Amino acid sequence: MSLRLQPIRVRTGSTDAESQLVFENGSLVAVLTHLSDEYGDEAGMWFLEAGFGPLDDPYPPKFADLDEAQDWITRKLAAFPAHGAAGGAP
Amino acid sequence: MPSTSDTHALTMLVRKLESIAILSDEERQAILNLPAKTRVLQPGQDIVHDGDKPSQCCLILKGWACRYKIIGEGKRQILSFHIAGDVPDLQSLHIHTMDHSLATLTEATVAFIPHDNLRELIAQHPGIAAAFWRDTLVDAAIFREWLIGMGRRSAYEHMAHLFCELYLKLQAVGLAGSYCCPLPITQVDLADALGLTNVHVNRVLKQMREQSLITLRGHTLVIEAWDELSQVSEFDPTYLHLEKRAAA
Repeated sequence: MSLRLQPIRVRTGSTDAESQLVFENGSLVAVLTHLSDEYGDEAGMWFLEAGFGPLDDPYPPKFADLDEAQDWITRKLAAFPAHGAAGGAP
Repeated sequence: MPSTSDTHALTMLVRKLESIAILSDEERQAILNLPAKTRVLQPGQDIVHDGDKPSQCCLILKGWACRYKIIGEGKRQILSFHIAGDVPDLQSLHIHTMDHSLATLTEATVAFIPHDNLRELIAQHPGIAAAFWRDTLVDAAIFREWLIGMGRRSAYEHMAHLFCELYLKLQAVGLAGSYCCPLPITQVDLADALGLTNVHVNRVLKQMREQSLITLRGHTLVIEAWDELSQVSEFDPTYLHLEKRAAA
């Protein structure tokens, strides 16, 4: 399984946030947001802004860096291999 | 006979019950005569645990407490906030095993009242039994509103609704006025009550401040625009069933 990241800005509230779209095999699986200085101790962490299919979580986690985020995403997707797989993907 | 401080403790219970029901002089006196053992607890201290079979009820005298459940991986859901005058584990009088926990959120002073004395009180004073029953029904009404907030309101509307509710509950027992009330809890506590993350709580608070709906100074919430805050969250105080609601 390989993930691809694409930088994007997300309008999370009153300001835009530096974010990453996360794709797996061409499908969007998650959006990660970089927490700015206004989040105090958690500034600099990556927040699961949105997760799709098996990454949907009512208690979205925060990660120290993008590697940790990608490890979590890979683990979650591997645990539900059939869930939400794009129809027609090779 | 209860000591002076215990009588003061029970005055808080009288004040709470009188905010939702009418008590006679005799009923008021019977409550003031209850025995109560007062204790000061640290923030984050459990008062009753999930699964316990308590033999006493806890009356909050000072500070804040919450009912909560812990689910997998230590995730906490706060079920309700409690302030002075509340008896958050009143249900233990009739439902013997706790199905959730009760803990302090701040330093708190609480008074414990034995079940036996409460049973005797309500057996002798049906009017007090009715007031306690009404209290648990209002409790259920609050849960219904929280359920709507959790399932059908946006984070912004949900938090606005909670602020309106907390203000009126505090005002009803004389702990708030002029749209200003204590809010001695953290953003994590708010998040765990609203079913949000602290990231979302931070964003919503920022938005409300920028729109001049609220001000947060230390542990004080000032509602700068009551009408807007209650309109945005479709807040209708009927569900609090307050007998004595000072003009908001």
